[in-house]
Amino acid sequence: MSQPPANEPGKFLDGKLPPNVRLGTNTILKGEHAFTRFHSQLKDALVIGDHCTMDGAQFSLHDTARVTIGNYCYFTNCMLMCELELRIESYVVIGWNAAIADSDFHPIAPAERIADTIACLPIGQGRPRPPVPKLPVIIEDGVWIGPNATILKGVRIGEGAFIEPGAMITRDVPARARMLGNPARQIGTV
Amino acid sequence: MSALPPDRKLPWDWYDGVVPGNVVLEGEAYLETSYSFLHFRSEVPEAVRLGHATTVYLGSMFDLGPRARVRVGQFTLVTGAWIICDAEVEIGDYCLIAWNVVLMDTYRASLDFAARRRELEQLPARGLRRFIADTPARPIRIGRNVWIGFDCCVLPGVTIGDGAVVGARSVVAEDVPPYTIVAGNPARVIRQIENNESPETNPR
Repeated sequence: MSQPPANEPGKFLDGKLPPNVRLGTNTILKGEHAFTRFHSQLKDALVIGDHCTMDGAQFSLHDTARVTIGNYCYFTNCMLMCELELRIESYVVIGWNAAIADSDFHPIAPAERIADTIACLPIGQGRPRPPVPKLPVIIEDGVWIGPNATILKGVRIGEGAFIEPGAMITRDVPARARMLGNPARQIGTV
Repeated sequence: MSALPPDRKLPWDWYDGVVPGNVVLEGEAYLETSYSFLHFRSEVPEAVRLGHATTVYLGSMFDLGPRARVRVGQFTLVTGAWIICDAEVEIGDYCLIAWNVVLMDTYRASLDFAARRRELEQLPARGLRRFIADTPARPIRIGRNVWIGFDCCVLPGVTIGDGAVVGARSVVAEDVPPYTIVAGNPARVIRQIENNESPETNPR
């Protein structure tokens, strides 16, 4: 990658961009598996703003999932798993092997879980899947998410928060909080 | 194994790359692939030194900044560590480092939101779009005969004492005393282990 001119259109370096993905000016996407699990049928299912760098990010989107990402974000080898909605604002950094999910993916109740398992197997193709808890994830401006961190459904991470490597975020995080642990606890402010 | 050919290509490598000139392999040290140096930027002499019989497998990454230095002792097995280093990472003899382990002596990011924002604004105009740390790195020291389980993170400034065991998926944020088992996120002491090592049983 050489120095890009000031206003180059966004580009995906490792394949063909799905038609319902929009990239802003100067945004660069890299990674052979970026869209391997991209199944969203929505118009503008994935919209990424300007000046972003996404090196090895995987966009795993369900049929009706929507992901929006702001400007000047920097992601490396992370997994974004979305069945409903994931909203990432600007200046967000996501580290290597971090994962964000807005769904439990399977029911917790045992009977529904069996029904879901069967519906997910090739033999159960076409069977309806039981409802699964899903809640949007919102990551506000300037959040830093370290390597191996995990963000679970329904969480809003406040502006400028610092998520330490390996942290497991299960609840809302106040702005500028520094979070560590599983489950993550606030260890300070930044 | 052992000494590299003059072109610094590993004869068994699946990746078409070379081992940087400032990487030193002692004795029978083994590197599986030069892909581990994809993010390598260190310019110091002997930036990486791997001791005799030390083996670094496929999943490992030497993500080293321009002044970074990594020292690995003898008979150490590194299955898949992502070493993020801007100052110094030292790993002793007879260590076991499992897969997906992150060893970082720097966050590569300021804790301050405004400083991070400035860095992100400058980044797209920079070739290769690499993050450049503006925060001081704090060296990591991993003693001798330390076992680190898979998916662990070792945070900047941490020292892990000789003979310690770090359970899988732990995040080590504080120093670990010698001959201690720690686990959890953040890692806590589980118990002490007796040092029953005898030098005669160690290979040379």
